[in-house]
Amino acid sequence: MSNEQKLDDTDRFNLMLALTGLLVDGEEYTVEELVSHFKVPEKEIVKAVKMISYTDLMKSNQDGSYQVNYDDLKDGFVSIKYTFSKAVDEVPRLSSRQASALAAGLVYLRSLPGLVENSEIEELQRILAVENEPGNRNTVLIENGKRDSDLVLIREAMSSGVSITCDYLNLRGETTINRLLEPLRIDSHGEVIYLRARCPTNQAVRSFRLDRMRNAKPTNTVISQQALSAELVEEIYTANETDTVVTLEVDPEAYSLIFDFKPVEEPESVTKTIKRFKISVGDVRNLGRVIARFGGSARVVSPEIARQSVRDFALNALGERSSTTPKDAE
Amino acid sequence: MASKQEDDFDLGKPERLFNLTCTLLYATEGLTKKAILQTVRGYDNEYKEGGNNSTLERKFERDKESLRDVGIRIETEIPAHEDENNQASVYKIKPESFSWPEDVKLTPKQLALLNLAAQAWAGGSLSTEASRGITKLRALGVVGQSSDIIGISPKIHTFEPSFKDLEFAIAESQVVNFDYRNPESGEITTRILQPWILRQIEGQWLVLGFDEFRNEPRNFMLRRIVSPVSQAKEGRDLRTFEAPAKEIVESGIASLTEHAMGQVALLNITPNTEAWFRYELDLVGSRKDNLHRLNYFDVYVLAEQLREYADQIEVLEPKKLADLVADGFRKVAELHV
Repeated sequence: MSNEQKLDDTDRFNLMLALTGLLVDGEEYTVEELVSHFKVPEKEIVKAVKMISYTDLMKSNQDGSYQVNYDDLKDGFVSIKYTFSKAVDEVPRLSSRQASALAAGLVYLRSLPGLVENSEIEELQRILAVENEPGNRNTVLIENGKRDSDLVLIREAMSSGVSITCDYLNLRGETTINRLLEPLRIDSHGEVIYLRARCPTNQAVRSFRLDRMRNAKPTNTVISQQALSAELVEEIYTANETDTVVTLEVDPEAYSLIFDFKPVEEPESVTKTIKRFKISVGDVRNLGRVIARFGGSARVVSPEIARQSVRDFALNALGERSSTTPKDAE
Repeated sequence: MASKQEDDFDLGKPERLFNLTCTLLYATEGLTKKAILQTVRGYDNEYKEGGNNSTLERKFERDKESLRDVGIRIETEIPAHEDENNQASVYKIKPESFSWPEDVKLTPKQLALLNLAAQAWAGGSLSTEASRGITKLRALGVVGQSSDIIGISPKIHTFEPSFKDLEFAIAESQVVNFDYRNPESGEITTRILQPWILRQIEGQWLVLGFDEFRNEPRNFMLRRIVSPVSQAKEGRDLRTFEAPAKEIVESGIASLTEHAMGQVALLNITPNTEAWFRYELDLVGSRKDNLHRLNYFDVYVLAEQLREYADQIEVLEPKKLADLVADGFRKVAELHV
């Protein structure tokens, strides 16, 4: 997946400030280096450098310019010099919202056990607070995750490049003891943490929820080449041809479902607040609990078999039989 | 050195903002609005000497906002010798408010961590702010990755449409209005809030602020906001409030935490089920048989979570929680007849 951002006008201006801070009267960089450093497309770097060189303060209060060697730029090299008596040549401060967004991201990282030392995060938060203009404050707070887990051990195994064993409760409610896994990446989605790992038995990369895992232990077995070269797709759930397309309707209280399932097409608004969307489901019998938990804020519109599965789940939970169950059923 | 050449781009907003920043940063005495419009590239070509320049003035106002968005504040002052003459107000950017403090350095690992913190917002509500922040930090020239944090893909979840507007209102100390659904009665009321901080607790986003309707600090769960968040107005002006002292916000945060500590549910959980795995590590107090105690901050949120494990958990206390779980199932069954 490309790491490059799409830029709007403000992003471009922001990039110009950053490039000036980095380049003015300093080293020469190649365009390629700047592309990889700023994670933006080449044309954005070239355009920003040109824009900087077009700066003209002649009419106001200063005599001077930023100078870019255009021949070098064509050959892929960038350096900027200036002839102002004073010019923007400093690294710009963060805005309070930028600092706050990064600070909140750090708090989130800290909530993942075993990832970073608290002291490292605290030091960075201190730096961001210095950065923050006086009087401004953080806008976002994320509570530390209190759930301990095997994450620390798994991280250590990943650093040493070895497999782990663990006990794992699968979706069918069966626990496998001492399951061997080759850990590849930790994916945290809000509160839920997944381990993307290759299972040598199934010879496939799967997602394992950490809260269903216990007793993780590193082994002496080095992670295989097949695992290291496995492609990690971004989606946790991969759709199958045999899936059923189900239409759901949600109130704001259940909008999270739109993010949990990747809708097969853009959600549509039924009213100002109700949204309707289609999802692809492997087994509609699993829908019952997912929908019923919302207590009415999420509804299955179609197909009937999916509606029935939700109804049955709710009635079973209440200890009542579904009206479609034959009276003489055992 | 080759001369500047004609190129394939127009003088756009980014370049205008850059010219404006450079000019105001080093115009020691500051510049009047008229002088800015007459001389700064991007305005000067549209300036009408002796004519009506209101369109251009609005453009300047919008540009000031754009600069604020990236953290550059234009300050206004009336030079001492001009007394109260508004026309003579000058605009400037204080260099100390613009530049990253020289003595603050970042190590490659710190930059990598901040990068990861920004990535956690990818596709989320603050992704733009976070990535612009990182772009600026890259200007410090620090390169290199830390192998310690490879293999992590963090993602903060913000699915509530109100998140971004509330965050903006907090940063700008703006009073907001929104419609809020009471989870108990289902009744929708319009609330007027001075928002203080967004807070995630047990996976739920809340906004803490001063509720002008109830006249006290209150928490609102973002998923129960059922209208767009709009800025409150006084006549034609946006209403702002004085940001509360840090201690007041902290005490508001602490009071919800205390509230959660005081609320305990008694549950019967079947061992070695999914529910057991899910809740085992959150349980508090001593265990007797399969009976367990769990703290919670919102009975409706807990009822929702528990419905997922209907056949594995029995709610013993409080009765309200047991009723909510059952009522929810009844409603679901009725809605799916």
